[in-house]
Amino acid sequence: MIRFENVTKSYGSTKRPALHAVDVEVDKGEFVFLVGASGSGKSTFLRLILREAQPTTGRVFVAGKEINRLASWKVPGLRRQIGTVFQDFRLLPNKTVAENVAFALQVIGKPRATIRTVVPETLDLVGLAGKEDRMPEQLSGGEQQRVALARAVANRPMILIADEPTGNLDPTTSVGIMKLLDRINRTGTTVMMATHDVGIVDQMRKRVIELANGDVIRDQSRGAYGYQI
Amino acid sequence: MQIIHIFTELGTGLRRNVSMTLSLVVTTFVSLALVGFGLLVNEQAEATEEYFNGRSTLLVLLCSETSSGGTCVNGEVTREQREAVEAALEENPQVDSYTYETAEEQYEKAGELQNQTAAGRRAYEAAEPANFSAVYTVIPFDPNQVDGISEQLAGMSGIENLVNVADQLGLLYEFLDLLQFAALVIAAFLAVTSVLLVSNTIRLTAYARRKEIGIMRLVGASSWHIQLPFVLESMLATVLAGLLAVGSLAAMVELGVNRGLKQAFGDLTVWIGWSDAVFAGTLTMALAVVLGAIPPLVLTRKYLDV
Repeated sequence: MIRFENVTKSYGSTKRPALHAVDVEVDKGEFVFLVGASGSGKSTFLRLILREAQPTTGRVFVAGKEINRLASWKVPGLRRQIGTVFQDFRLLPNKTVAENVAFALQVIGKPRATIRTVVPETLDLVGLAGKEDRMPEQLSGGEQQRVALARAVANRPMILIADEPTGNLDPTTSVGIMKLLDRINRTGTTVMMATHDVGIVDQMRKRVIELANGDVIRDQSRGAYGYQI
Repeated sequence: MQIIHIFTELGTGLRRNVSMTLSLVVTTFVSLALVGFGLLVNEQAEATEEYFNGRSTLLVLLCSETSSGGTCVNGEVTREQREAVEAALEENPQVDSYTYETAEEQYEKAGELQNQTAAGRRAYEAAEPANFSAVYTVIPFDPNQVDGISEQLAGMSGIENLVNVADQLGLLYEFLDLLQFAALVIAAFLAVTSVLLVSNTIRLTAYARRKEIGIMRLVGASSWHIQLPFVLESMLATVLAGLLAVGSLAAMVELGVNRGLKQAFGDLTVWIGWSDAVFAGTLTMALAVVLGAIPPLVLTRKYLDV
């Protein structure tokens, strides 16, 4: 589903690349934690998948396509197959919960009838049924992240990218979000999650890719945050 | 859904930038009106040139039935006299070409000029072909050679008068050229201002909507979907400006030419009319559309990274 072939990414004239000769393959339906200290290259890794950035050398494949060779007009098509959530939720404050989810479908031209059925279904999936008309400011952090998740998966993407989705949440709320991500993963969606949350990684026992200074220093199935023998 | 969504975005954008949009309308309107004015002036210069067969021509007016005295002692020009004039023109190396028009043809042509005003029409109705001269219109190789040719022909019998068109219309041409130059220079400055205003509006809007645009890019909205509200907003403003400019061109033709210049200087030249206004108006509208569409297409790419 996602393949990095000898990918190096340098920004400007900095000496040390953000990613260095990375070879990684993620299969369809996998759940992968991307861990590492700040500045280890996690965000660059995710940006390359979304084609927010281009590799300096090497090749990136997503869903069988070499995306660094993708014509720029085809990039929106790629992004429609990838859902994304962030630490800061990125909801539109002047739109209701339902409108926030609907917005993502409207702007890619989904028919009104589809939106009318998909939005309530998705809000139900993330446990927000009955809160469609709330404004984001009326919701707790966990609920806001659920809206963001609903927005990310409303278009049934093949891949879900989560960049520190629990970074702003308390441990109990984080567990709820992780359960939801697990549920989404069980429907066949490949989930790639960057995190600092040791507890979550240790508890979930999923594949762990660890980055340090742009190098992959560990790729372990059913791993934990730190090394375990 | 897409269309409704795009128009909702357009409405939001217009409400947000109402003062900026108005300033864009006004600036573009003045700029386009000046471009249209420049085009009308150009049309006027061309119409005048066409009527007089160019800017530097020599009109050789031959003696008519009603001419008498001087070189016209024999009354209307005789065939021999005419052949002598033609031979002189043929032999003169400074003459590029010449055409001959009979008194009858001159009478017809004068109608074009005279019928522009009521007074002219009355005068024309009283006239008859016999009052007109047959004319040789002489075009020299070099505009400065008109006087030389004129001197050579002066005094030949059968020639009533020699008219250097540049002497008669030089001032008009100079005035028209200056007017056109000034209009186009000011229009160019204002067009640049319009583009800067569009650029400013897009920057401000892009900043105000950076969150939405970020999400749109992330969820895979196509470039045109992100750009279209910006393009429509700017096009709406410039098309409105274009319509105002076309209106002002119509006013220029009606008030300035039909009721002004034509009445005051009806017999100076052939004045432009509605068909010229339609031509200038069409070009002005086309320019309005281009001015509204191209800058936002380029600038949204720059500021929105789409």
